[in-house]
Amino acid sequence: MPRTCVLVVDDEPDIRATVAAMLEIEGYAVAEAANGAEGLLAVDEHAPDVILLDMRMPVLDGWGFAAEMRRLGHRTPIVVMTAARDAAHWASEISASAYVSKPFGFDDLISAVERVTPTA
Amino acid sequence: MSAFELISLANQVLFIGLFVAVLRHALRQPSRANLNTVLLFGSIATAVVTSRIAGSLAPGQSWVTSVLIVLLSVTPLAMLRLVDDFSGTPRWVQWAGTTAFVLVSALVILAFDPLAEVVELALIGWFGSIGGYAAFAFARAAARSHGITRRRMTAVAIGAVTFIAAIVVLLVGLLLQLPGLSAVGQVMALTAVIAFFLGFAPPTWVRRAWREPHLRRFLQGSIHLTGLTDERRAIVELEHAAAAALGASGASIGVADPENATLRYVDAAGAWVEAPEDAYVAGRAFIQQRRVVALDAVASDPEHADDYRQAGASMVIAAPITLGEKRLGVLTVYASRAPIFVEDDLWLLELLANQTAVILDARKLAAEASGLRSREDAARLKEEFLSAAAHDLRTPLTVVLGQAELLERRVARDPSAPVDPAGVSRIAREARRLRDLVSELLDAQRLEQGATVMDRTAADLRDVVGAVRQRFRDQGLDLKVIAPEEPIVSSVDTMRIEQVLDNLIENALKYTSDGKLPEVHLRHEGAEAHLAVVDHGVGIPEGEREQIFERFYRASNVQSITDTGMGLGLYICRAVVDAHGGRIWADATPGGGSTFSVVLPAPAPVPPVAAPASASASERWPVSGTEAPADA
Repeated sequence: MPRTCVLVVDDEPDIRATVAAMLEIEGYAVAEAANGAEGLLAVDEHAPDVILLDMRMPVLDGWGFAAEMRRLGHRTPIVVMTAARDAAHWASEISASAYVSKPFGFDDLISAVERVTPTA
Repeated sequence: MSAFELISLANQVLFIGLFVAVLRHALRQPSRANLNTVLLFGSIATAVVTSRIAGSLAPGQSWVTSVLIVLLSVTPLAMLRLVDDFSGTPRWVQWAGTTAFVLVSALVILAFDPLAEVVELALIGWFGSIGGYAAFAFARAAARSHGITRRRMTAVAIGAVTFIAAIVVLLVGLLLQLPGLSAVGQVMALTAVIAFFLGFAPPTWVRRAWREPHLRRFLQGSIHLTGLTDERRAIVELEHAAAAALGASGASIGVADPENATLRYVDAAGAWVEAPEDAYVAGRAFIQQRRVVALDAVASDPEHADDYRQAGASMVIAAPITLGEKRLGVLTVYASRAPIFVEDDLWLLELLANQTAVILDARKLAAEASGLRSREDAARLKEEFLSAAAHDLRTPLTVVLGQAELLERRVARDPSAPVDPAGVSRIAREARRLRDLVSELLDAQRLEQGATVMDRTAADLRDVVGAVRQRFRDQGLDLKVIAPEEPIVSSVDTMRIEQVLDNLIENALKYTSDGKLPEVHLRHEGAEAHLAVVDHGVGIPEGEREQIFERFYRASNVQSITDTGMGLGLYICRAVVDAHGGRIWADATPGGGSTFSVVLPAPAPVPPVAAPASASASERWPVSGTEAPADA
């Protein structure tokens, strides 16, 4: 069975690297993108099972990315990953499946990803 | 009764009425001018009464005529004395007038025949010369005065001219045996008494009508002052308007500061000066909440004699500026000599003080409202800042926490596994970032409380720039620096100025996307050092170039970029530069981007004696592109 693929979209390289390392040690395959636009390309390329999405990003932000995903008919579950206080609100705005508030710990992240991973 | 008799009777009644009016006034306010007014109309009224009584008891008696003529001859003398009270006359004129009066009276009494030609000629000369002089002086005083005083003075001048003319016409009529002139004289006397009434005892409705245009002008000139932001300018304009309306040589407004029990004035240089709330004549009016007249300010307030002399204020009147229960201040006007009709001036002064109260109160309300707005703004900024700060702190914290837990897990699963060097350096890097953010916050707070330690020493600003440049070079960024050959010495807190430069360069790098490095320019201009960081980045919208130096402010065109710091960098820069007595501002760079300029005080360059030192300085100076200072 192929490994579950998670796409991490965040403009902070250190955040991407840290999140990727956490997911990899738990056996996930990880793809990275530095903003919403790169994220859309990565969706085409890697067809991820779960997307971890930062909201405030240059070029194309989380809202733009989610809207574009919907327009293209992708139904990949999204976990919002933000440092803002309105994480829950923003998550519902883009109909995300879950959210984690920065700073999140190892277990917060993994359990959120596990929760939304489609059981095929 | 013929028309002639009717006019004559009206004259007599009006002159007696006028005498009663000025007598009442003089009893209330026994000033020299008021007593001389009583003398003027007293002599006329006595002459009228005497002629009435004598006409019925002893008709045709020549001594009665003599007494009447002597009584009437007092009038030019009284006018002369009034002229002196109002505008001053040379002493010799007074002396000559008094002497002439004595001579004329003696002539009238000793001549036994008061209607002898020589006596009449002497009388015509007396009335014509002294009366004419007085009438002319009144007219001149009218032309020089302002406000209601001018109107009253004009009436007095008209009264004096027509009265003297009436007497002369009557005398000429007698001399030339022309009874027709007597009627002309009576009509002129009627004109004179009406004019005198308006001048010396104007009815209230006349005063109100006269006052109205001045009040309107004051209001028109001052209504815009409610919106003027500079309070001192508003005060000065109100003072000018009040002085103009009253025709005073100057006016001052003291604004009450109840917390400190002081009155604040604007001095000649436009700066606030504080005085105890009971100081000056103004203070007396403020404390007692009533108008105060000091006809001789120096005598009534000797403690501040010098101030009054300096302002050329011999006479001072003051009225409290009060609106209901609100004691807002005090309005004072001063003049070099006593006002002619002080009660009118007081009346107008009180009105102006009331209007000033309304204007000051409106200004205060407007200021409170805007203060409320700026407090709301500050609260909103603080709120935004807190959420921005939280965001900025959480991002590095996420990395530190995540990487640390990751390491923890790796070690737990396999204690012999090698340490992940990339993860460790991520922790270190983000922890440093956290430290920087926290110190930025603390810096801002310290600056806010004014507790910045300023350890200022004389330093060559080229060395300061060099140190900063070296730090960026260590990060692989070779900035272009344009600096002069000679040292630019300024007394600075080197650490702080480096921090300013660091901040400006960091900003420039942050908002430049195409990799073009910012440049640092340093030059000496007069007694100032000009330091500029020039970038070709996104630039700052023109309307925001001031605000970006405010705390927590972030330009609108960068807010969508996540990594923007806390909006404290430029705020801190400005505080540091201000503390050095310098200036900082932002301009657009020609061709796009921003130029941040810092000006610091730097005395003229060291004389050529220090040449060896400057040579060694340029050795130390790690400059790649040393160029002549740019002209622009």
